Amino acid sequence: MTQINAFDPPDRELIARTLDGDGGAFGLLVERFQRKIYRVAYAIVRDEVEADTITQDTFIQAYTHLAKFQGRSEFETWLTRIAINRSRDSLRRRRFVRFFSSTDDEENREGFVEPVDDRPDPEREIMAHQLRGAIELAERQLSAQQKVIFRLRHYENRSLEEIAELLGLRSGTVRAHLFRAIHKIRKQLEAFR
Amino acid sequence: MKTHYTEADLLETYYMQPDEASDIIAHVNGCNECQSRYRRLGEKLRDIAACPSDKPATFWTRQRMMITRAVENARHQSQATARGGRIAAAAMLAFVLGGAVVYKTIPRPKPPVVVVAQQSMAAAPDADDDLDVPRDPWQSEELKDFGSVVAWESWSR
Repeated sequence: MTQINAFDPPDRELIARTLDGDGGAFGLLVERFQRKIYRVAYAIVRDEVEADTITQDTFIQAYTHLAKFQGRSEFETWLTRIAINRSRDSLRRRRFVRFFSSTDDEENREGFVEPVDDRPDPEREIMAHQLRGAIELAERQLSAQQKVIFRLRHYENRSLEEIAELLGLRSGTVRAHLFRAIHKIRKQLEAFR
Repeated sequence: MKTHYTEADLLETYYMQPDEASDIIAHVNGCNECQSRYRRLGEKLRDIAACPSDKPATFWTRQRMMITRAVENARHQSQATARGGRIAAAAMLAFVLGGAVVYKTIPRPKPPVVVVAQQSMAAAPDADDDLDVPRDPWQSEELKDFGSVVAWESWSR
């Protein structure tokens, strides 16, 4: 939950003011949640420009549908859901584009993973980079849904219950997706043994 | 029995429920080698997970401005749409009401044929009725002989 000063107006008040036509109130909501939404979007799409676009789109969509927000969940949760849906759309789009434009260079990255060893700190950074590369490569095998779940768990440290709530799925379904994702990732990471 | 766990095995524990990972965690707790591997893995993952959210203030200000501008555009657009809708609705209402008023104020012309028909209908039951009014009074039996007199009177004036 985002830290809010005791003197700051609560979300509900800002929402009501926005609906009454106070544009400044929505600006405060943006300021309050933009970092968090950007982080969620980045965790899923792993691209700064894309995450920035998704963050902007999330707030614009939230604004245009603000009257439909019934307050059954926190405003932050509602925003996060919008951001996740947009990020998932972005992943699907990217997957579609990659399907038609995959290059030899990308396919040749298979040999990128190297075995882990106990090297000192400076080289550990390289290993971290390699692990990142390995995970990113492995993630390509995942469906958009699996990728979203994996990344929310992996990069955002969200609990299964939280992910289930954000995606509108049952916790068991999230768990199944996550385990399937891990199984695929694990295969890729075997080179680290 | 497994001697040591690989990073892939340890990575998997991140996604397990505590009871599912208990065997591995128990081993890690008692094995220095696996413990250090687990710690290194944690460091790597933290590094991977590091999100560039600590961006300069200008980034967030620019982003906020972009959002505010888009939101203002959306608001103006919806206001223009609403105004257009109101104008269209008012025009439609005026058209409907105007049509109704015009329709109500224009007196419906009584077709003379109906009057004649009524007269003839009224005359029909009894042809010898004294109140019988012919279609052209000058053609009636009483007045037809005075036609020339009336014409002369009119001409002399």
